[in-house]
Amino acid sequence: MWQDALLNMAACSSAGRVLSLCRRFQNVLRISSATNIQRSAVNVTKYHCQLYRETSPLVSPFWSSPTSTASQCRGLHTTISRRGLEEFFDLPENWGEANVKSGAPWTAKQLRTKSNEDLHKLWYVLLKEKNMLLTLEQESKRQRLQMPSPERLRKVERSMFRLETVVTERETALRLLQTGQEKGRPGAWRRNLFGYIYWYRFKEYAIPWYMNKRYKRKTFYTPHFVQPHMRLRLEKHLRDKTRKANSEKQKLAKLKEKFPLMKVPAS
Amino acid sequence: MRFVGRTQSLTTFSSFLLSYPLYQLGNPQLRLFRPNWFLTLVRPGKEQPPDTVQFRIPMEMTKCDVKSYLEKIYNVPVGVVRTRIQFGSNKKRNHLNQRVKQPDYKVAYVQLAQGQTFTFPDIFPEKDRTPTEGSMEEMQEKFMEDEKQRQKLDPRRGGVTEWFGL
Repeated sequence: MWQDALLNMAACSSAGRVLSLCRRFQNVLRISSATNIQRSAVNVTKYHCQLYRETSPLVSPFWSSPTSTASQCRGLHTTISRRGLEEFFDLPENWGEANVKSGAPWTAKQLRTKSNEDLHKLWYVLLKEKNMLLTLEQESKRQRLQMPSPERLRKVERSMFRLETVVTERETALRLLQTGQEKGRPGAWRRNLFGYIYWYRFKEYAIPWYMNKRYKRKTFYTPHFVQPHMRLRLEKHLRDKTRKANSEKQKLAKLKEKFPLMKVPAS
Repeated sequence: MRFVGRTQSLTTFSSFLLSYPLYQLGNPQLRLFRPNWFLTLVRPGKEQPPDTVQFRIPMEMTKCDVKSYLEKIYNVPVGVVRTRIQFGSNKKRNHLNQRVKQPDYKVAYVQLAQGQTFTFPDIFPEKDRTPTEGSMEEMQEKFMEDEKQRQKLDPRRGGVTEWFGL
């Protein structure tokens, strides 16, 4: 199975990227197995230390621990605090503060060490955090006050985006191993009527393509008479490019003349 | 022609999606693993009954979505959800006298079940900020006050501008 998948991958055009993805997936597997072993070896008291070490600022401690089974941490109480609609607001001690302290956003590197389950839990934590911040932002707008620490919103957004990339990465790796395809939806590079090349995503048709009038109406080729126009387009693009470069150069030269001690940018 | 390359799979219908596949009768239930819908709890402009909570929700969300969102993620018992779409004003004009449109948004009025009530708390209470003795903030404040005092006009001139007179 493994070797078949690898052979398939070798056949692929984007072999390098594929291999790196696979390697990453392997790493993930290795790390998760390692943590499993570690988990079984470590007792509860040690577990506490690990937990506090791994605590990340945006998230309350019980999420960041790599727990998935309840049996391994009997001594640890990990119930989610059920606050209901209170969760749309910050903790009451932060109300009225000018700025609230927060840590750095999650990096993709940190997220790659987590299990899929943990990532999904973290998604919900981040979602609640973002809802809270949006509520806070709206209320401060309404009262015409400054939002306390607005940089938190951006931090949460970045972490969510990174989490999303990590999860899609894993999905892609798994799909590559199982089916040898990089994309969830098959497609192909196709040519347009105007000579553009684009990624066409296949979709299901009720009628086979050779009897399907609607499909046949589509043009996935470039007619011969479009060739000169493509050439013209290319020329236009190149001219535009050179014009921009030249104007930039002239501007720099002028500035250099005016300010001889000016540092010229490298590019 | 530009195409945004973004892999999507229907089975793990994920977030950062522009639209989601419509549910048609007989199809398998749509499952959202990482919802990217964000609700904003707002203070109601008009007075609402005590069990009603007002939210601003994304346009794509439906009543059922709001209900399941609040019940599954926030553990809030939801009775009824009513929604409307707020027209964003296009009254403003820019410097070219063109209309400027504020974005529309959807508003959801959620009636809580089980006799629960909700009042929007005051999240910007007046806190007395007296910086501690000898701290950086105190020094800064003192400095600012001194500067202000220094830049004040001469009170004996009676509000006459600086450049006037000898």
